[in-house]
Amino acid sequence: MTLLTMIVKMAEGLGKTCAIFFLTLLFSLPLGMVVALLRMSKNRIVSGVTRLVISVLRGTPLMLQLLAVTYGPYYLFGAGVARNKLIPVVVAFAINYAAYFAEIYRGGIESIPVGQYEAAEVLGYTKLQTFVRIILPQVIKRILPSITNEVVTLVKDTSMAFTVSYQEMFSIGKQIANSETSFTPFLVAGVFYYVFNGVVDFVMGRIEKRLNYYQ
Amino acid sequence: MKRLFAFVLALAMVCCLAACGSKDNASSVDEEKKTFIMGIDPEYPPFSYLGDDGQYTGFDVEVCAAACELLGWDFQVFAVNWDEKLIQLDAGECDCVWSGMTILDSMKEAGYVISQPYYDNTQVLLVKEGSDITSSADLAGKRVAVMLGTSGEAMLAGDLADLAASFADLMICNSFLSCFTELGGGSVDAVFVDLPVAAAYAANNPGFTVINEALGAEQYGIAFRSGDKALCDAIEGAVAELVSNGTYAEIAAKYTDISADNLVFLNK
Repeated sequence: MTLLTMIVKMAEGLGKTCAIFFLTLLFSLPLGMVVALLRMSKNRIVSGVTRLVISVLRGTPLMLQLLAVTYGPYYLFGAGVARNKLIPVVVAFAINYAAYFAEIYRGGIESIPVGQYEAAEVLGYTKLQTFVRIILPQVIKRILPSITNEVVTLVKDTSMAFTVSYQEMFSIGKQIANSETSFTPFLVAGVFYYVFNGVVDFVMGRIEKRLNYYQ
Repeated sequence: MKRLFAFVLALAMVCCLAACGSKDNASSVDEEKKTFIMGIDPEYPPFSYLGDDGQYTGFDVEVCAAACELLGWDFQVFAVNWDEKLIQLDAGECDCVWSGMTILDSMKEAGYVISQPYYDNTQVLLVKEGSDITSSADLAGKRVAVMLGTSGEAMLAGDLADLAASFADLMICNSFLSCFTELGGGSVDAVFVDLPVAAAYAANNPGFTVINEALGAEQYGIAFRSGDKALCDAIEGAVAELVSNGTYAEIAAKYTDISADNLVFLNK
């Protein structure tokens, strides 16, 4: 197999890698905010339960969660296994990443001084207005570098989807490596991931710059 | 400038460490030879698997252990990641890969020393009991699973590519268990798998049937690093002795899922 065919075949798998990446971000970024708000709830039971869920999601390997979401229903209830693996894969990824994003959001929200809430109240802002107009814009600016960190990790984590037989780019690389007894596909995969993350880095850098309107 | 210097220094240190590591490996393998590390796929019953007592066992493991005993070597088992078995072999994590491994021409081309074949492997189909699939001809439009890095996968990409083209979908899984789980859960209609593995699974799990049709023929062998010809010869010699003194047949008799007809050394 020539290098070109190798690259073309792996690039086909890159589409599936991108599907995991974008769908996971689409669902986990908002979900993370919901989880963060539940985590900071004044209700002890709500915040306690959320805390437990987050600790399980962060404390167990993503690979295990992928297996649990995909094959768990079959082993537990004898239910069928999904044919389209993208669904269980995105569910597992979105839940897992939401847990991480939630903690990042919480850190950001809690870093805003209480004085700002008091000032907003004096000025007659409602609680919702205070959060959306005053707190959130500052939070987003502060947490962006941490979010970039997670997004970069997500690009690389997509290779784990093969645990449940989802044919993303890296698994195709593995197949070629096996049939050709060659290590070149791993090199190609490395370049693909690096370039992908280069784009992520660039985009996130631009967003950071645009939000940096006070400097 | 100072920064650059620090960077270069750090790089040099890392390189030194790396060099030390590789030297250590080489010496332990080349000079002593007292310890022989066998690389296995720990999920490949009946050839190599984790036994009920928590120790690795299986036909290949027992043969290798007996051969090492004969040679007076210390015997160790190392569980490789099957996709990366040859990288791990090159890295010196094990001294051979011996675990129902199908001999591929590409391995020889890449310079690995490959032993004489010891097992004629056939691929079969595993289906759910009561399935309407009774032969490979019924597979058109069906969904089939195969494990990555197995001879079945290689065959479906090579000699049996026409058959593979008739499938509705070919799912490549990263373990046998996940292939079988996909079958149990109904997301595929059949699993294309080595006969002994299929037989062992069907025997232990009700509700699955092995279709009695041998598809494609390949052979199992042992892979050594390039340059380890002497090691390969020593192991082959020991195995030949095990065959002549009857130990080999004794071990084979313990594994009913392995058909003696397929064991090359017992059919000379």
